Amino acid sequence: MTQVQARHEGASFESDVHLIAEGTLPGEVVEAAEVSVTRVEPEIYVPPTPGADVRRAHDDERDAALYFDSMERRLPIGLGRDERPVFANFDFVDGTKGAHVSISGISGVATKTSYALFLLHSVFTSKVLGPKAVNTKALVYCVKGEDLLYLDYHNTALTPDQELRYAELGLPAQPFRSVHVFAPPRPNDPAGTPNISGRAGGAASSMFWTLQEFCRDELLPFCFADAEDDRAQYTLLIGQVAAKLKRESTPVGDSGAINIAGLTVRDWAGLVRLIDEQLTDEDSRRDWTPGATALGSINAFLRRLHSSVRPLGALIRGDLDLRGRVAVTTSEAQVTVIDIHSLPDRAQRFVVGTTLRRQLAEKEASGSSEPLTFIVLDELNKYAPREGSHPIKEILLDVAERGRSLGVVLIGAQQTASEVERRIVANCAIKVAGRLDAAEASRPEYGYLPTTHRQRALLAKPGSMFVSQPDIPVPLAIEFPFPAWATRVSEAGAPPTPASSKAAEKVRRDPFARVADTAPGGGEPAPF
Amino acid sequence: MTAPRIAVDPWDPSYGTPTGEAGLQESTARLTIDFELPGDRWKPLDPPSSTWRPEEVLIVDGIRRVDARVWFMVDGEPAPNLGLAASYAAGVVRINGRAQLSQAEVRRAILTACPEAEEIRAPLTSYPIIQSAGADPDALSLTLQQQMRDLELLVAHSTRSSDDDLLLLDGPLRGRTTIPRTVGYIKTHHAMYLPTELNAVVADLRPGQRTPVFTIGTTWSRHTWYIKLPVVSDMPWAGVVRCECADSLPRDEAFRLADATTALLPGLASRAHKDPRAPQNLTPIGGLEKLLRHRLGDPAKLHRGLVVATRGDS
Repeated sequence: MTQVQARHEGASFESDVHLIAEGTLPGEVVEAAEVSVTRVEPEIYVPPTPGADVRRAHDDERDAALYFDSMERRLPIGLGRDERPVFANFDFVDGTKGAHVSISGISGVATKTSYALFLLHSVFTSKVLGPKAVNTKALVYCVKGEDLLYLDYHNTALTPDQELRYAELGLPAQPFRSVHVFAPPRPNDPAGTPNISGRAGGAASSMFWTLQEFCRDELLPFCFADAEDDRAQYTLLIGQVAAKLKRESTPVGDSGAINIAGLTVRDWAGLVRLIDEQLTDEDSRRDWTPGATALGSINAFLRRLHSSVRPLGALIRGDLDLRGRVAVTTSEAQVTVIDIHSLPDRAQRFVVGTTLRRQLAEKEASGSSEPLTFIVLDELNKYAPREGSHPIKEILLDVAERGRSLGVVLIGAQQTASEVERRIVANCAIKVAGRLDAAEASRPEYGYLPTTHRQRALLAKPGSMFVSQPDIPVPLAIEFPFPAWATRVSEAGAPPTPASSKAAEKVRRDPFARVADTAPGGGEPAPF
Repeated sequence: MTAPRIAVDPWDPSYGTPTGEAGLQESTARLTIDFELPGDRWKPLDPPSSTWRPEEVLIVDGIRRVDARVWFMVDGEPAPNLGLAASYAAGVVRINGRAQLSQAEVRRAILTACPEAEEIRAPLTSYPIIQSAGADPDALSLTLQQQMRDLELLVAHSTRSSDDDLLLLDGPLRGRTTIPRTVGYIKTHHAMYLPTELNAVVADLRPGQRTPVFTIGTTWSRHTWYIKLPVVSDMPWAGVVRCECADSLPRDEAFRLADATTALLPGLASRAHKDPRAPQNLTPIGGLEKLLRHRLGDPAKLHRGLVVATRGDS
């Protein structure tokens, strides 16, 4: 159905509607619906005769009209206007024929993140993956607010009606089962506990990188992941310094500190200071940058480096107790949430770049696309802008173009698809649009929406989406149920049982706990 | 010397003028002025507020169109016989809170005086023969008019369902005076029935007022009255219509119909920018004619059908 119009038949002037309404001019109300053809079976293109009977497709006919009958693996993606499930061909999600999902829409109204998580929930619980669902992982970046920190909490605002909608889709109305949250360490906390306020139960770990890892893995480029940096002249210098750090640094102690050029460095500010001294000194500079590097470039590099001390100081550490530390990885739980909403922009880019690269490297090393890893990243227009080039964009491009074979599926969300690198959007097999801005909707990136759909996208309610997939020639208007997981503290029901993963256990382990447990002698009361 | 005042006729010139092309002719009709009020007490009358308001108003109208002229050539006869292949339709608008096309009948026929004529079966429709008394075009046209009037009566009869309705027939009531609660509605005035001094009362009418009921007798006799519809024109007689009812009605019934129409019709008057014959061509009648004309079908197609159907004979 593309358009419905109602008019008075018999009215030749606009104002005749008043005459018809007040009952002096004879006229009948006519409602006409314009529909778009989804399927012609058999494939002989003859028009229906005028006056021929029209009937609404139900059950099998409906599924055939929407090509659901030809999908071998069907992923529920929401409910149609008829309150019946709408499916996507999973072959176009998991990389068999295509991969990646792109979700566009105005922030706040379009509920992009909620829909991304609903898709994830559907992938994990719809049995479309079969037994492989257990090992399938997801990496979710929490960019805005704390809304993704309660994915494993029941939502107290979930009504029975909404639960029925989950049942209609064949999905359990349950929160995510296995969630691990990584958050940056609390500022000025020597113990390095994660900076999460609302999450009382469930696994949570602190997210930081030791200086040792920073040097070993050459993470320096990710400190320069701003749009501002890609135009600068010092990009060559970054690589040289990173290589030098990798070559020269030696671990000191077990807190991740390093020793370079005879000096021990225990925090990021210290490392920046050291690089500054080494590069400013005429004699040592030659060791760091072979050949003649313009002094202006060095100064620009140092200026950028110094400005990173505040944003990155909390994340790159050499002073924390590493016992019980959980490295940032997706192996801890099915859904790994990386909370970067409290971080400054530069630190967000550092975290996204570092973790994405690590994820990709792990998948490359494993050599198999199974099990799949889903990456949910909002604000794609910030990390992979159309203009310019920087390390994160390169990684995201890599995911978009090679992810299919690596088993990495990107679920990207953005307010404006027109500002995201074209090759990333082009590689997304499934395109989703929520409420769109009027100016944005007219851009060619939304060419997959017919004109009427574009107009409707300007009015789409929260929870309404238009999903375009390669199998079906028209985008389908769908609604998805209210999240079964809490999206804010006020909705959070009972916390999930903690200690479900070994990570949580490690975090809670008290060095003295064993003594306390065993001292009383097998649980008997003390003799005094 | 003062310049003459100018008033523009509200009707589209192609429809003529409400007072007839030739101007108002002096009438020779027998006149009974004092049916309601004596002539010297004539004045514009307002309908009383307690006037009868029918729960349903049925407005009947018909239209006709000549689709083709056909010629019947009979062997042995010197001149061919003219026939009119015509489509005509009649319909009823039922107004009871809302206006609805309650019934519409479309007929096609060939009107001719040729006794040997046979029905023409065209691809889309067929044209039965209706014999006309006269063979000249005017007589055929009159027969067509009579056929349409008959059809109007047919639809009017079959739609009537209430005892509290008012039937408004477009055109004179001639030959249709036996139907109860029926008023003929005349837009165009060909004759000046009233004497000059009483015509001044017609000119004095304000919108929503009527003259007293009087009786005229020409070849037939009926009660009649003038009503002024809302109009913006200084032309004398602008927006004036005449209604008539059967002279067999008792006085009170005639007054009741006169008051009811005077209360009813101004609300149905059409607007100048929508109807070239505003305000006399009432909104429901204009709408009905449009719907009926639509139902007559495409004249070009019908004409082609007739050509195709008759070609093989020659």
